[in-house]
Amino acid sequence: MFSSMPRGTDEVSEPMYYVLTALLDGPLHGHAIMKVILELSGGRVKPSVGTLYGILERLGDRGLIVVDREETVNGRARRYFRISDSGQGVLEAEARRMQEAAALVMKRSTAHA
Amino acid sequence: MTPLERRYRWLLLAYPRAYRAAHGRELLGVLVDCAAPGRTVPEFREAAGLVAGGLRERVRHGAGGNAWWDGLHLGVTAVLALQLATLLPYAGSIPLWVALSGVALLAVLRGYARPALPVVLLTGVKATAIASGWQPVDVTLLPVYPSFLAREPLFGTSGPVVVALGYGLAWFGLLALAFRGGTVRTRSWCWWGAVPLAAWAGPAWMPEGTPYPIGLSRLVLELALLCLGVWAARTARDPRWAVAAACYLTAVSLQLGEHLTGLTNQHLGYWGLLAFLTVAAAFVPFGYRRQVPD
Repeated sequence: MFSSMPRGTDEVSEPMYYVLTALLDGPLHGHAIMKVILELSGGRVKPSVGTLYGILERLGDRGLIVVDREETVNGRARRYFRISDSGQGVLEAEARRMQEAAALVMKRSTAHA
Repeated sequence: MTPLERRYRWLLLAYPRAYRAAHGRELLGVLVDCAAPGRTVPEFREAAGLVAGGLRERVRHGAGGNAWWDGLHLGVTAVLALQLATLLPYAGSIPLWVALSGVALLAVLRGYARPALPVVLLTGVKATAIASGWQPVDVTLLPVYPSFLAREPLFGTSGPVVVALGYGLAWFGLLALAFRGGTVRTRSWCWWGAVPLAAWAGPAWMPEGTPYPIGLSRLVLELALLCLGVWAARTARDPRWAVAAACYLTAVSLQLGEHLTGLTNQHLGYWGLLAFLTVAAAFVPFGYRRQVPD
C-alpha cells in the first residue's frame, strides 16, 4: 500500500526526518529540538532557526506534529512540540523505506566481498 | 535589548506580521540561545535562514482560501496597478483620473471589490474616451503630454478598443469577485511601490521610435514578480499564482497584440519570458511526487 508523498513541502526531507526522530522521546521546544538533531546526526545536520521553524510549521500543517503546550521560561516564550500518531506512522514508513533501499546495496556489497 | 537581538528583530521583518506577533518572541529567544557568547552580528547562515523562512511563511500565509478566486483577485490587482502606472506620468494633466485610478487600486488592495466596480468603470470610460478622442463630457486637452517618467503622449499608440478591453478585464474580474459571496482578502501595501517602477519608461533598452516601448524597470519588475510567483507556486503547490499571472499576461498581450505588425524581437522576447513564467507557474505545482510506503 502506498500513499502519495509529494516533494518539497510534503515529502519527508532529511531535516524533517531528524525533527520527527528527535520528538520520539517526548515533547521538546525549538532550541531543544535543535540540540537533539545536532547530537543524533553527529553534527552533520544543523538547520538554521528559520529553517527549523519552517519545518515545524509544515509538519504541523500536515498533522505530523502538534503543539503539546506553551510556556514562558525566563521571559522567553516556548512551544513544546509532540509527534502525532500519523507522524509516527510516516516516520516509521520512511525508516523502512530507507532500510529497504540500504539493504539493496548492502546485499550486493556482501555478495561481491 | 542587545545589538544582536536588535539585528535579529530586523531580520524577523521577513516574516508576516501575524506570524511575528504570534511567534516572534519565541524565534528571537531561540536565535539568541543558539548564538555564540559575545556575538553581536547574526551569522550569515542564520540571517539567510530567517529571510528564506520568512518568505516561505509569507507564501504559506498567502496560500489560504480558495486558490482560484484569490488568484483572480491577485491578477486584477496587478492589472489595476499597471493601469495606474500607465496614467501616473500624466498626473499633472489629469490629476482627478489618476487619483481615481489610485482609489480603485486602494479599494482592491483592501479587499473592497464592490466599491471598486464603479471607480474602475469611470476610470475605464475616461481612459477609453482619451484614447478615442471622443469626449462628450469632461473634455481633456489632447494629446495628454507626460510631466515625468514617460516620453510619449497618453495612449499615443493605443487605440480605444484595447484600452477598453484592458479595463473590461479588470472590471469583469472584480464583478465576479464582488458577487461570488465571501470575503476578499487584503493585499500588501508593497503594490504601491510597484506602480512608479512600472510607470517609468526607462532605462530605455528598445530603439528610439519603437511602437509601444517598454522600460527596463518595468521589465525587471514583471520578471521578478513572476519568478517569485513561480517559486511560490512550487513552494505551496498551489495554482493561484498561475491564475494571477495568466490574468496579467492577458492584459499585456492585448496591448502588444495591437502593435502586432510593428513588434520587434525585443517585444517578442519580452512576451515570451512572461508567457514562459506563467506556464511555469501553472505546471510547477504538479511536479514529481515520490511514493512513500505506509
